[in-house]
Amino acid sequence: MTVLRRRVHAGAVPRRRGGPVAAEARWAWLFLAPTLLGLAILSAGPILATAGISLTKWDLLTPPQWVGLDNYAALVHDKRFLVALRNTGFYTVVSVPLGMVLALGLALALNQGLRGIAWIRTAYFIPVVTSATAVGLVWAWIYAPSGGILNQLIEIFGLPPQKWTSDPFWAMPAIVMMSVWQGLGTSVIIFLAGLQAIPQEYYDAASVDGAGRWSRFRSVTLPLLTPSLFFTGILALISAFQVFDQVYVLARPGKPTEATVTLVYFMYENGFKNFKMGYAAAASWILFLIVAVLTYFYFRSQRRWVHYQ
Amino acid sequence: MTSPLAPLAPTVGAGAPAARPIDPHRPRRRRALRLTRRGLLYAVLIAGGLLMLVPFFWMIVTSLKTRAEVFGAPPLSLPSGPHFENYANMWSAFPNEVTFGTFFLNSLKIALLCTVGQLVSSSMAAYAFAVIPFRGRGPLFGILLATLIIPFQVVLVPNFILYRTLPHPTSASGNWIGTQEPLWVGAWLGGAFGIFLLRQFFRAIPSELADAARVDGANPWQIFTRVYVPLARPALATLAIFTFMWTWNDLLSPLIYLSDLDQYTTTVGLAFFQGQHVGKWPEMMAGALVSLLPMIILFVVAQKYFVRGIALSGLKG
Repeated sequence: MTVLRRRVHAGAVPRRRGGPVAAEARWAWLFLAPTLLGLAILSAGPILATAGISLTKWDLLTPPQWVGLDNYAALVHDKRFLVALRNTGFYTVVSVPLGMVLALGLALALNQGLRGIAWIRTAYFIPVVTSATAVGLVWAWIYAPSGGILNQLIEIFGLPPQKWTSDPFWAMPAIVMMSVWQGLGTSVIIFLAGLQAIPQEYYDAASVDGAGRWSRFRSVTLPLLTPSLFFTGILALISAFQVFDQVYVLARPGKPTEATVTLVYFMYENGFKNFKMGYAAAASWILFLIVAVLTYFYFRSQRRWVHYQ
Repeated sequence: MTSPLAPLAPTVGAGAPAARPIDPHRPRRRRALRLTRRGLLYAVLIAGGLLMLVPFFWMIVTSLKTRAEVFGAPPLSLPSGPHFENYANMWSAFPNEVTFGTFFLNSLKIALLCTVGQLVSSSMAAYAFAVIPFRGRGPLFGILLATLIIPFQVVLVPNFILYRTLPHPTSASGNWIGTQEPLWVGAWLGGAFGIFLLRQFFRAIPSELADAARVDGANPWQIFTRVYVPLARPALATLAIFTFMWTWNDLLSPLIYLSDLDQYTTTVGLAFFQGQHVGKWPEMMAGALVSLLPMIILFVVAQKYFVRGIALSGLKG
């Protein structure tokens, strides 16, 4: 029974030394061995290593040279890096809210208990499981300047054809559109789960008080859905900063021009095409800092707008 | 506790706005209004659903057209016949006896190795976090969760350098770069998502079961393999499907670590084809479609595990 009581307080420290609890604790480290190794050499440890490498000049052929903050100073003046930063920012600012609003509307509609809804729902989920590379190819074909269906469609309305994936004005919106299409299902699923966790009694009580459709949504659904909104927000935010596959496929043939280069692509081309390890590490460390700072403020903001039941 | 693991079964009624108070004066008009609203909702949802499927439809249609049809005929015309030769052409469009089947098998091998590795290593760690009290459990779990927000691209440079120092008996470089090992070995060293998911599940298992086994003289390893793992099958299925999907769909890692065509996965293989055969849209669509099939089949067969996995991480986030 002591085991049972201890389990209630997650993370409680066993006080007794020796005895069965200490023996079990030794087992714990055995179970954790692979994970600890992974943390040390593949995930948590390398965060520090990235910071260290970012202070060097290293082409992998000659030993690394200590250069202090030179890489960061160079990044600030690298036009391609600044454009990558701007493109990633644009992508995040547009795709995250757009995806969330669409997903919320869709989840509300899908939650109305219509018959045959499961089939319709599947259509919205399928893009989620497909690879951005494969579906990126069909989007590249939809957007193709010559023969692409989008240009042929707008031609019907007398509009001039566009170079959707290389034009500085259209390229990021084109990538956002594909990403929103692909990611919609994930948020919809989370919202649906959130909607189904709202007790029916709340709606009944609101109806008795004379609340209409809209005010039930405002005063019951929306507040009780804020934890789901919060969570989809963080997921979308973190993945928005990782956008790479779509850019890689849509911007071909040729490399992404300044119209579509993103932070991760910039890191990829410097680190793994040009083998400027220090420079790439500095770019990734900046990526990490941005994500960490945004996540921190996002978590802090939840006190003001997230309602846990 | 309410079970967060209950599948998101058909959503009938749940959470839908309650029926309005009945107005005795105008029941017929109200009914008509409700039917109209319902019809409109159906129309919008079906139209949106079809719109979501347009890219897949377009992929299939293009993959069956000739290249002349693709560029010449009106865009919305159907293919003159099913031109399956596009599939054959794409399949064998690679040099040195490499076919698209090679990529397919490579992807399958790597995805399966990752899946098994994640199941083994994550369930072990999840068991320790959920069941065994030990010093430092709370902080360690906190560190693990923090890695969830680190984009994996941030640690690519040190990971690449690490794999470059590891000796490899058969690779041309002498180290792990240019081999498939970096793509799956890490999966055997745990992962925050899987550990988090399984820990939630293990914690819901009554400890009396473990106590009973302990009285019978079982050690923690036996309790883990004989009591906890069999009971956690649904959660393990969810983790397996997600790991398989993430690995199958990954582009960046294979792009960085692989250099020989015969090692490529389907994603890099497709990107390679795209770079080599500009404008061959029918063949490209055929390749994309073939590479999507396993995921789409897996999704149709195991939809409830997908939905459960996403919903669960969302509820408990």
